[in-house]
Amino acid sequence: MRLLRWLARTHVLGLSVSVGITLALFTWLFDGAERDQRSQFEQRLLLLQANTLAKTLANAPPDDLNLLLAKWKARNPRYESAALVGGMDLLASTRPEDTAPRRLVREEKPLYDLANLIRTAGETNRGEKVVRKKLMQIDRLPGGSDVVTVPYLANGEFAGILQIKVRNPYANATDQKARNSAGLWLPILIAAIGLGALLRSRSESRLDISRMAALAFFLSLTLFYQNQRMDDFLQGDLDGTHRVAEAVQEAVKNYGVPPTGAGAISPWDTDPYLRPLGVVLGDGRIIDENRMTRFNEHTRFFKRSLWAVEALGLGLLLAFLFGTMRKLVETLRQHADAYTYVAPAMIGMLVLVFFPFLYGITLAFTDTTLFNESMPFFERWIGWDNFVTILGDFNLFQRSGEGLIWNYQNFYWTLMITVIWTVTNVSIGVSLGFILAMILNTDDLKGRALYRVILILPWAIPNYITALVWRGMFHPQFGVINQVLQMFGMAPVAWFDGVVSSFLTGLVTNGWLSFPFMMVVILGALQSIPKDMYEAAEVEGANRWQRLRHITLPLLRPTLIPAIVLSVVWTFNMFNIIFLVSGGEPAGANEILITKAYKIAFENYQYAYAAAYSTVIFVILLVYGIFQTRVTKATESF
Amino acid sequence: MADSPPRRHLLLHVALISFTLLSIYPVLWVMALAFSGQQSVGIIDLPKDPTFFERLRGILPIPAHFSVSNFTGVWTEQPFGRWLWNSTVVSLMTTVLGVFLACTAAYAFSRFRFPGRNAGMLTFLVSQMFPGTLMLIPLFIIIVKWLGLGNTYFGLVIVYATTAIPFCVWMLKGYFDTIPIDIEESALIDGASRQTIFFRIILPLAKPAIAITALFSFMTAWNEFILASVFMEAESNYTAPVGLRFFVGGFSSQWGFFAAGSVIVSLPVVALFLYLQKYLISGLTAGSVK
Repeated sequence: MRLLRWLARTHVLGLSVSVGITLALFTWLFDGAERDQRSQFEQRLLLLQANTLAKTLANAPPDDLNLLLAKWKARNPRYESAALVGGMDLLASTRPEDTAPRRLVREEKPLYDLANLIRTAGETNRGEKVVRKKLMQIDRLPGGSDVVTVPYLANGEFAGILQIKVRNPYANATDQKARNSAGLWLPILIAAIGLGALLRSRSESRLDISRMAALAFFLSLTLFYQNQRMDDFLQGDLDGTHRVAEAVQEAVKNYGVPPTGAGAISPWDTDPYLRPLGVVLGDGRIIDENRMTRFNEHTRFFKRSLWAVEALGLGLLLAFLFGTMRKLVETLRQHADAYTYVAPAMIGMLVLVFFPFLYGITLAFTDTTLFNESMPFFERWIGWDNFVTILGDFNLFQRSGEGLIWNYQNFYWTLMITVIWTVTNVSIGVSLGFILAMILNTDDLKGRALYRVILILPWAIPNYITALVWRGMFHPQFGVINQVLQMFGMAPVAWFDGVVSSFLTGLVTNGWLSFPFMMVVILGALQSIPKDMYEAAEVEGANRWQRLRHITLPLLRPTLIPAIVLSVVWTFNMFNIIFLVSGGEPAGANEILITKAYKIAFENYQYAYAAAYSTVIFVILLVYGIFQTRVTKATESF
Repeated sequence: MADSPPRRHLLLHVALISFTLLSIYPVLWVMALAFSGQQSVGIIDLPKDPTFFERLRGILPIPAHFSVSNFTGVWTEQPFGRWLWNSTVVSLMTTVLGVFLACTAAYAFSRFRFPGRNAGMLTFLVSQMFPGTLMLIPLFIIIVKWLGLGNTYFGLVIVYATTAIPFCVWMLKGYFDTIPIDIEESALIDGASRQTIFFRIILPLAKPAIAITALFSFMTAWNEFILASVFMEAESNYTAPVGLRFFVGGFSSQWGFFAAGSVIVSLPVVALFLYLQKYLISGLTAGSVK
C-alpha cells in the first residue's frame, strides 16, 4: 500500500514507462534499419562483382569468353563458378563438366526463363522511360553461397545473362566495429527510474517544477539515445561505403580503370536497376557529399518514424503527468468485469482482423511483389501510385476496324461487371424468394413443410461444392445443360467462351444458391403479419393488389432492407462462385473485383497492387454502407 | 371462393413441384455421379448420334450402373479420409474457441455499459466489410512467417474463430438482450459471482442461440478453402474443401471422386442445418422485427 502511494506521488512510473517504451521502439527501429543497411551493402558488393565481370565481357570477342571466366575464377578461392547464357545457348562456363559453348539442356530451362525475364524487364524500363523493373537477381543458397545474375551486353545490345556463384562473400565483411551504444538502454532506463523517484508531484498547480523537470529529463534521455544510435548508423554507412570503395580499388587492380576514366563515377557500383550510384569514383575514391545526400534521402522516412516514436513517448508521459493515465486505470478497474469478458475476443480481433487490415492498407502504398519482399520497407514505399494506376486508367476500350474492343483488365470494366453482378443477383434472389414465400404462405396449402425443407437445401450445401457442381453441369461437351439444349434441337453453347454466356453461368449458380435465404427471411416476416389486417382490408373492399401494396410490402420493409443490405455485401464479395464456376473466363472479362484482386496477388504476385485493389473494394462497400444507412434512416419516417 | 382448397391450389402445386424439382436437380445429379462408379462428368455415355430419348436418359439423374466404388475409392485410393479428419479437427476446435470468445464478448456487450462499448460493436460490424483478399497476405505473413503456424491446425483455427466472432457476437447479443435481467440481479443479491451467473444461469438459458453460433462457427471452418489452401501446403494437411477442389480443379477431372466426396462432406452440414434451421431463421429475423 505504501509502495502504491509512493508510486502515485512521484513521477517514477510515468518517466520510466514512457522512457522504456520509447527506448524499446527506438531499439527495434534501429536494429531493423541496421539489418537493412547490412544487407544492402552485401547486395551492393555482390552486384559490384557481377558488374565488373559483365563489363569486362561486354566487348570481348566470343572466343575469349571462356578464358576470361576462367581467369576470374582463378583470382579468388571464394569464386565458385560463372556461366554466361545467351538465347538458347550456354556461351561460356567455368564448370569443368560444361563444354561451352553448347545448347542449353532441358534442366536449364529456368536459366532461359530468367534471361527472358531480365530482357523484358530492361525493355519495359526503356519503353516506359522509368525504372520499375529490376535488372538483376540475387538468390541466397542454403549452403552460404550467393548467386547473382546480371544482364550481359555485347557491344551495347542485350545478349544474355551472366550468372556468378560466390561462396561466403562477406566472410571478411562481417567483422563490424562492435556497436557500444546498443547497450545504452539499460543505464538510461535506470537513470529514468532514479530521476523519477526524486521528483514529487504537487497536484494543486498545473505547471509545477517537477512536471517540467520530468519532461526535460524525458527529452534529454531519449534524444541522447537516439543521437548515439544515429551516429552508429551513420558510421555503418561510412564503413560500408569504404568496403565498396576497397572492392572497386581491387577491381581496378585486376581489370584496370573502367573506360569512363578514373575521375568519373564508377560504372560498377550500381543499384538493382543497374544505374551507377554516383558515390564512388572510377578509381575507388569516395565522393562524401554524394554519400551524405544519398544517406539522407534514404533515411528520410526512417527519421520521420523516429520522431513519431518520440511524440508517442511524449504523449504517454503527458498522460501520466496530467492524470489521464490514472483516470484510464480507474475506468479499467471500475469496469473490470466488462473488460475481462470482452478482452479475449477483442485481443483476437485486434491481432487477426484489425492488425492484418491495417497492414494490408499499408501494403497498398508500397510496390511489394513476391520478388522484392525482403527489401527494406522504406525502399518499397511509393505513396499513392497504386491507386493512381488503378483509378486513373480510363483505357476502357479501343476503337478498331471491327468496332469497340473492350479492355477487360481495366478497373472500371471489372467494377461495371461487379455492379451488374450484384444488382442482377440480388434482384433475382429477392424476387424468387418473394414469390416462393408468398406461395408457401398460402393458408392450408398441403405439404408446405416438405416444400420448404427441399427448397432450403441449396442454402445448406457448402457453396464451393455448389459452384463446382454447376461448373460440371455447364461442361461444354458432356454437361447436362448442353444435353438439354441439344434435346430440343438447339446447338450446344460453349458456356465459358462468351462474355454473356459465361456471366450467365455465374448468375444461375448464384441465383440457385441465394434464393432460399431470401425466401426464408420473407416467409418469416410474412407469418408475423397479423391475419386480421388482411381481413379488415378485405371488409373495406381492398383488392389483392391493394392489400399487397399497402399491407404486405410496408410491413416487410423492416425485415427486407437489412436482408438486402446483407446480401448486397455478400454478393459483391462472392468470391467462390466466380472463382470456381467460370474463373472469370473469357480472358478475365467476367472477373468481379474480389476475384480480380485475388488473381493479381496470387497469379501475378503483385501483393501491393492487390492490396490497393482490395482497399478500393473496401471503400466502395463502406460508402455503400453509409449511404444505405442514411437512406434507410431518412425514409423510415414514411 | 367456391373452389374447394385442393382444386384452388392445384396450380400452385404444379408450379411448386416443378420449381422444386428444378432446384434439387443439381443435388440429384451429384448423387447420380457419386453412385455411378465412373469418373466422367456425364451420367451415362451417349452414343454417337443420340436420339431425343437417349439424350433424355442422359440427363435423368440415375446412374447406368449402381456402384459404390467411388465411395470406397475416395477412402482407399485417395487421402480423403485424412483430409476429412483434418477438417473435422479444425472445425470442432474452431467451434469451441469461437463459441467461447463470442459468448463472453456478447455477454459483456449485452449486460455492461462501459466506455468503448459502442465503438467496439461498430468496429465488429465494419470488420464484416473487410475484403478477404486484403487480409489474406497479412494473415499469411502473421500466421506462417511470424508465428510459424503454417501447416498446423491451430493456425487455421484461430483465424477461423476470429473471422466468425463478429457475426456470432451480434447474434448472441441479440439473444442475451431478451433474457430478463431480473434473474441476474436476484442471483447477485444472493451473493453469486459474475462467473457463476454467466456459466450457470446465462449460458444454459441461451442454449438455442449458442447452438446457432456453434453451427455458424462450424460451417465457417468446414466450408472454407482459400485460407486453408494458402496455409496448408502439404497435401497430407489439406482440409476437405481444398481436397475436393483438387479433384476437379485445374487439369484433373475426377468427377466421380469429387461427387462421392461432396456427398460425404455435405451430409453432416446439411443434416445440422436442417435440424437447426428454425433457430437460424428466428435468430436472423430477431434483430429486425424488434
